[in-house]
Amino acid sequence: MSRPRIAVTGIGLVTPLGLGRKTVWKRLLEGHCGIAPVRSYDTSRFNVHLGAEVEDFNPETYFENTDPNAVGQASQFAVGAARMALTDASIASGDIDPGRVAVVMGTTSGEPREVERFNDHFVSGEHEKIDENFIGLYPCHVIAGIISEEFGFGGPNVMIPVACAAGNYAMAHGFDLLRAGRADVVLAGGADSFSRITYTGFARLGAVAPELCQPFDKNRRGMVPGEGAAVLVLETVQRARERGAPIYAEIGGYGLSCDAHHMTAADPDGAARAMAMALVMARVLPTAVSYISAHGTGTPTNDRQETKAVKRVFGERIARRVPISSIKSMIGHTMGAASAIEAAVCSLAVASQKVPPTIHLETADPECDLDYVANEAREIPVEVAMNNAYAFGGNNASVIFQKCQIQ
Amino acid sequence: MSSRRRVVVTGMGLVSTLGFSPRSVHENLVRGLDGFGPIQLFDTEQLSVRTAGEIAFEAEEHLGTGRNLRPLDRTARLVIAAAARTLDSSGLAEVEIGSQLVGLVLGSMFGSVHSIAAFDRRALIAGPSYAKPLQFANSVINAAAGQTAIWHGLKGINSTIAGGSLAGLSALGYATDLVRDGRIDTVLAGGGEELCNESFFGFLKAGRLAGSRNGAPARSVPFDADRNGFALAEGAALCSLEAEETARGRGAEVLAEILGHGNAFDASRGREAASAAAAIARGGAAALADAGLNAEEIDLLSLSGNGSPEGDRHEALGLAEIFGERLAEIPCLVVKAGLGESLGASGGFQTVMLIEAARRGSIPGIPGLKRLGVQIPLKTLSTGPRHLSPWGDRPRLGLIHALGLDGGTSSLVVAIHPPSNSGSLAGEQAS
Repeated sequence: MSRPRIAVTGIGLVTPLGLGRKTVWKRLLEGHCGIAPVRSYDTSRFNVHLGAEVEDFNPETYFENTDPNAVGQASQFAVGAARMALTDASIASGDIDPGRVAVVMGTTSGEPREVERFNDHFVSGEHEKIDENFIGLYPCHVIAGIISEEFGFGGPNVMIPVACAAGNYAMAHGFDLLRAGRADVVLAGGADSFSRITYTGFARLGAVAPELCQPFDKNRRGMVPGEGAAVLVLETVQRARERGAPIYAEIGGYGLSCDAHHMTAADPDGAARAMAMALVMARVLPTAVSYISAHGTGTPTNDRQETKAVKRVFGERIARRVPISSIKSMIGHTMGAASAIEAAVCSLAVASQKVPPTIHLETADPECDLDYVANEAREIPVEVAMNNAYAFGGNNASVIFQKCQIQ
Repeated sequence: MSSRRRVVVTGMGLVSTLGFSPRSVHENLVRGLDGFGPIQLFDTEQLSVRTAGEIAFEAEEHLGTGRNLRPLDRTARLVIAAAARTLDSSGLAEVEIGSQLVGLVLGSMFGSVHSIAAFDRRALIAGPSYAKPLQFANSVINAAAGQTAIWHGLKGINSTIAGGSLAGLSALGYATDLVRDGRIDTVLAGGGEELCNESFFGFLKAGRLAGSRNGAPARSVPFDADRNGFALAEGAALCSLEAEETARGRGAEVLAEILGHGNAFDASRGREAASAAAAIARGGAAALADAGLNAEEIDLLSLSGNGSPEGDRHEALGLAEIFGERLAEIPCLVVKAGLGESLGASGGFQTVMLIEAARRGSIPGIPGLKRLGVQIPLKTLSTGPRHLSPWGDRPRLGLIHALGLDGGTSSLVVAIHPPSNSGSLAGEQAS
């Protein structure tokens, strides 16, 4: 008996380019840039000042049963994205057995602002001001827990903190939970909130772009730290059909690997193994891949290494024919949310037969010589989209989204 | 489901306050020892609770002096040491690991909140340009899993699972499915957590540590009527999981088989006892169904009980829904009686020590237990060890349950195999 096939039937997005599937997808295709000087805290002690922050997000809109003011910002984004995804999938609370709904979320930092607040008091010696509920607000697993609390979901609840590849890890685990019959519906995604810890770290590594985020450009100078959340509704193709739900895409498979080489410097061998494993699991030939959503942070090393890895898996000739783009040029690097947002992008590329551009791509780099969909979105047949994500710790994750053939 | 592969445990390794091997921890638990003492790692002068389960851990003794330990924080050091012992115990250290694509799934609540906070504090005090890049690399929650992969050359699937005190057990379940589904043949799984001032301070402020409320003397005795919180602790405990054919192919000894697992969530997040118990029952039922077993077939339990007034009661209520009256008869291992609440590491300890205790034929007791708390019908619990009847003709079936700190629940079902050479084990039997 063949294993169930897994469909994406709902998308919720909280990003620096706006909220919700329709707005975000439109702005990505139009090549808007959501990067601006940091507003949430003072960067005057840094020599870089750009950030990608979420604007005009009102958590009250999305919380119906719990108090948005009693949770951290990443959890607010996550509940917002979850609410939008369920609405998008036309799933109302009466339609499902809440005990059979799983939540799987990824993150880099959890609720970093809570540990920052802890430190503010700690450093100033005001220990008595440290929140009694620090331990209830800070640990990263609360993000998934708060989603389940808000919606009353009682199925598996899993938090996967695998840094900047966490969103893809969540997709992979959601896929496995459904295939194993452990849930009827999975909310899978990622969330992170803008953090001075993250900003300080990347600035200290010299990895933050001073002016523009220009993935794959010869003059690229770095990434831009960001924030946001994405949640995808996953269910079996059969269940989606039975309830007449439109399917954006089907998850074909995934690949996970570890470099075991360096904590912060990527190794193309590990990335290539993840892509290859994903192709094998999805039973897709490299020639069948229509689009790659790159990790594409905009740092000199990442983009060069990722290009190398793609060539290693696809071969030079095929690699040059596959459009590959980085939406991080527009929304920055949203950390644990990044590959979840990009999973939504891959699903939408398959559903709409359009791929978003890499903006600010002006000067070709001889070491990055693939087709990066420079500056203009494209309308092309998209049968298979591959989503790449790489993380500190040497963790690599590629997930394949493909057209659901028999609608 | 018949196409799924069988998953076996071929090695176990740990670092703990009560020893650095499952055997020594078992001996110490059977003797009624605990691992709690005055905290040395950080200043406790201003704090109302000053004891915890801190390991006397000299990294060089475990990791050698030949390699640079400076990039590794305490969490990573504990996990690397446990991984080394697991690879030794399974015999995987002998095979060429790089070519085998061994994976690692680590359960951890915080990774290292100490590394994260220390990185931030230095930038706050000295300015962002003085922040330490090495510390930043360790500020991601998956840092210990990444550092362990680098240290041991583990190039297979590498993941970190959070979830508070159920992280380690949840990681074992996640890893089991990866092997079952053919994603990977060999994976180390379990948990690791360090003791540090940030988490200690946080739990103290929240009133969750024994002795942190109302000036009452600390009493972290699990399931006892007068328990008033847990003793925070640290450690790491891992199992090597392999596809059965991989293990057989290399002639590895099978210690146990993982038959199934299940997770569920209590949407009241621990606030309502009925909802908490229902979630435990739902997760446990899912694990039993996954294992193809009935509750009546379970011989042994390994429990999450840590001395929390609410948590221990919820666990007992949930298990009563699964096992009914028979709950009063099933022998229960409660490792946190001696090892404390080591958060992400706990599920690893609960699993490793159940397998070890069953194979050695005695389940340690709960020292200091005077009388069971209200709504806790765990009548097999007592202060001293409980000797198991001789092995029959089948493995012993155990259910391991871990309760999160705020709504999560995870269960894992194992079939524990008798020692291949029972004679020598009996000879070593602790008493």
